Amino acid sequence: MNLRYFLKGTLTLAFALITASAWADHNELNPNILQVKPGDTVKVSRIPGTIYLRSQNDPDDLIWDRIPSYSTNLLAAPPVHQSVNLRFEEGATRSKHLYFQVARTDERLYVRLRWKDETEDRATTVDRFRDGAAVQFALKDVDTSYMMGTGKDQPVNIWYWHADQPQIENLAAGGFGSTTILEQQTVSGSGAYIKQQITKDNEWHVVMSRPYKASDKYDVNFERKTVPMGFAVWQGSDNERDGNKRVTHTWIMLDTSLDNTPTK
Amino acid sequence: MTVKRQLSMVLDLNKCIGCQTCTAACKLMWTNRNGREFMYWNNVETMPGKGYPRDYQNMGGGFDADGALKLGKQPSQEDYGIPWEYNYTEALMTGTDPWLRPHVKPTWGANWDEDEGEGDYPNSYYFYLPRLCNHCANPACLAACTRNAIYKRQEDGIVLVDQERCRGYRYCVNACPYKKIYFNEEISKSEKCIFCYPRIEKGLPTACAQQCVGRIRWIGYRDDEAGPIHLLVEKYKVALPLHAEWGTQPNVFYIPPTSPPKFGPNGEELDEPRIPLAYLESLFGPRVSEVLDTLAEARQAKAEGKDSELMDTLIGFKHSEMFKLS
Repeated sequence: MNLRYFLKGTLTLAFALITASAWADHNELNPNILQVKPGDTVKVSRIPGTIYLRSQNDPDDLIWDRIPSYSTNLLAAPPVHQSVNLRFEEGATRSKHLYFQVARTDERLYVRLRWKDETEDRATTVDRFRDGAAVQFALKDVDTSYMMGTGKDQPVNIWYWHADQPQIENLAAGGFGSTTILEQQTVSGSGAYIKQQITKDNEWHVVMSRPYKASDKYDVNFERKTVPMGFAVWQGSDNERDGNKRVTHTWIMLDTSLDNTPTK
Repeated sequence: MTVKRQLSMVLDLNKCIGCQTCTAACKLMWTNRNGREFMYWNNVETMPGKGYPRDYQNMGGGFDADGALKLGKQPSQEDYGIPWEYNYTEALMTGTDPWLRPHVKPTWGANWDEDEGEGDYPNSYYFYLPRLCNHCANPACLAACTRNAIYKRQEDGIVLVDQERCRGYRYCVNACPYKKIYFNEEISKSEKCIFCYPRIEKGLPTACAQQCVGRIRWIGYRDDEAGPIHLLVEKYKVALPLHAEWGTQPNVFYIPPTSPPKFGPNGEELDEPRIPLAYLESLFGPRVSEVLDTLAEARQAKAEGKDSELMDTLIGFKHSEMFKLS
């Protein structure tokens, strides 16, 4: 093998490696945070009753530095409608690292999400799309489809934050295309776009919370041992909406019990 | 998609004078408020021209030969034209501004290229094309909606957006090749021509048809053999859909415009129409010349004092005969 071929081969290999690393999006991954895979169980953390939150849903409250954080990999949602399929290729190869924390007091349950996003897309116009994120809980067991639930007997409850409005939408669905706004909007929250010196390190921080006790039959009941939970992120700059999104494939189990939770 | 009955409209382009009374009637009735200011559920375009939204004919959408949805371009606000207001109070009443001026710099809008047309004198040409939702038999907007928020009424085939179900994904805007469904930024939902269904349900024609001073519009059910639609579309076959190749099966039909002959270099009349046949065929399909021949024959018959059911219908003597709503 002469030098030229050797170099060419090395370059090809290097290129392949670069491509592979871009594909897996490693620069978004913080190796110092525990990675959670679908099927794993994470435990809710306790916010002690002695801690006073100055505002209920401050996405940058100091308390979040004290709560265990997890990361999980979101992948393109499988398209279930031709409108989604037509727009599928663009985002199909990219994954997204989402960082999440789940905590509760005696009265409320909080979910905090963080993810990197170079662009702050707050507008919804005729041709611009907003950033968004959602947490989905199965009302029943883990055999509920993670793709918006399985019919009306195995629905999901979805908390949906989007960047163009301060409110969180409390939704239920029983299969794709059936997402419905619930009469009782019990979920509150807020998001903040945190700018960094390096634009690609800019992040959305979003907190959503709800009274611990469910008040509607489609509000997820946390008073059981484990609750199937999943996440979704929409990238406005990629025209993502509806089924064009990146999601947890299947469920992460949320252990809601507080026994043995270390107080920090 | 089969419905029990289908309401339909025929427009005679030979009678349209481009006065925009239909546009104004529709706007005052439905779209001059609440985030719809940029929308024209009905508009009148000068053809050849870019249309509204700008260049919509090249934005894609509709269906391919296999019946699969085609991805289109999402029109921008600029493509529609950003609505502007004038400082009437300051310029004309209080005198605090010496100039009457729009509050944004207008760079494009519906009808921006009005009366431009094509060709050079003495062979320049244009005609008017009023457009509204085609209430298609195979609506691309409906096929594109992932939430079944768009439906076609069984009793009259009117295509509507269920505002309770719409979540503002804008797939419909992209999919409609006629770009006759619009995204309302104030409510984050899509809206469109409703064929004035509250009027239709009271036995009244749509506002655009009622107000049309040229009496170019006929409304009726396609299965009503005694009605004007059947006569124009099925019996005399003089009304054609716009861009049937887009695959949506429109229920709005047009009678293509006849035109005077072209002039030769010495001012002599040539044996070809001023509006190129190929251009009309690019809009209304391969049957245009057949239709133009039928119209010429009927017109000739009338000129010779003979009876012509087709011409009598096209003249539109009575509104009651033009609108058959039962």
